Amino acid sequence: MTEYLVAFITGLTTGGLSCLAVQGGLLASSLASQIESDMQGKSSSRKPNVAQPILWFLISKLIAYTILGFFLGWLGSVLQLNPVSRAILQILIGIFMVGQALRLFNVHPIFRYFNIEPPKFITRYIRRKSKNTSPVVTPLFMGALTVLIPCGITQVMMASAIATGNPLTGALLMFSFILGTSPVFFVVAYFATRLGERLEKYFMKFVAVVVLVLGLLTINTGLNLMGSPLSFKNLTGALTGSNTVSAESLPVVAPTIAPFVDNFSVDSEICPMLAVSSDGSSIPCGQNNQAGGCAVINSQANQVLIPTESATAPTQPPPVAAPVEAYQEIVIQVLNRGYSPEVTYAKAGVPIKLVLESQNVRSCSLAFVIPSLNVQVLLKPTGSYTIDIPAQPAGSQLPYSCSMGMYTGVIVFDN
Amino acid sequence: MKITYNIPDMHCGNCAMRLEALEDELQGVTSVNASYHKQQMVVDFNPAIISEEQVIRAIVEKGYSVSQS
Repeated sequence: MTEYLVAFITGLTTGGLSCLAVQGGLLASSLASQIESDMQGKSSSRKPNVAQPILWFLISKLIAYTILGFFLGWLGSVLQLNPVSRAILQILIGIFMVGQALRLFNVHPIFRYFNIEPPKFITRYIRRKSKNTSPVVTPLFMGALTVLIPCGITQVMMASAIATGNPLTGALLMFSFILGTSPVFFVVAYFATRLGERLEKYFMKFVAVVVLVLGLLTINTGLNLMGSPLSFKNLTGALTGSNTVSAESLPVVAPTIAPFVDNFSVDSEICPMLAVSSDGSSIPCGQNNQAGGCAVINSQANQVLIPTESATAPTQPPPVAAPVEAYQEIVIQVLNRGYSPEVTYAKAGVPIKLVLESQNVRSCSLAFVIPSLNVQVLLKPTGSYTIDIPAQPAGSQLPYSCSMGMYTGVIVFDN
Repeated sequence: MKITYNIPDMHCGNCAMRLEALEDELQGVTSVNASYHKQQMVVDFNPAIISEEQVIRAIVEKGYSVSQS
């Protein structure tokens, strides 16, 4: 449900303007016949009725994109995009949007090529068809045709529809998004038609600014998703030195790693981060984290908690010293506004059990990805999820983010 | 007769679509190929039926400035 609401709000806030920049031409064509026929009518003083064709246009567009979403979801079920290919797709979309904005600013003729025009045979066909049809059929037809020229934000949403990997979810996602774009599309199209060409020019400049910003944001989210050092956050961090990685800067206490042992038991009141492992079995990736007798790096406190004998229940016999696997556990809180902490420090050369904990989370931070490991999981709004991460070399970093690259974080490895 | 015109006012692909509609609207015009990318349009017309001035006037009436390439 949340993803549909997010899609709707995305459409409402950004999609409408972005789509209008790209698809405005088709809408104008569908309005042109209505305006022309109204103007050719006897009373030239009568204002053309544009509300109705805009509505037909939008209804048709809504239906067309819902069907498209269905097929994209189906495509996603066949061909699952990994985080890196999604990041590349987002960067390309961002470049496309920036190109569109520069075209609208008329910066250089080369940017005109960012404008996707329908093939001549289609426009010719539509034009000739529209002559003999009612003012209802033309906008309906044009609205459906917008699937051929999706705007940048729509393309992002289309990529998300593919990522759902489910035809019905994909259809609902696209429906929610296009429904969200519709009010803005309607209002702006209605008033732009009424306000005349001069104001429309100003409006297009405004759209250009918005599309430019959105384009840069889209590129940035793509870079975040890739864990690129060129992302805005990493660049500013490098300039200000705020994301400099050094072991000295860490308040981590001697990151000693304890072996995982059979029948290991820890008093959870003393060490709440440590749970009792009844059978000592390892937690496979993707299972809810219920057990784990291991050293825990409490990432919030940046402390390493090492289970000791004093922490074990006194009645228990000493643990059998049969190390099965040494690993460190890192807990990251998944929040509505991102991940906490954003920077986590871990010991190099030791595998990690990364525990993602969420509590009533309703944002895209639930779609967690580690691009370099090709890990992508959809977390539950409330719950705990464990990901096994192999040992990493010292000095390396493991960036992670939400699937849209909006919320980011990094695990830093050092000795 | 085929003439290429520069149309510097085209600001989107829809302008090209509007100009291409002249091939249906003007008698004697056999084809119009407008390119937003090149800011040009190529008009193929029969001078025995329609004059060049009439073609230019029709373009201007659509709201575009025009010069011969």
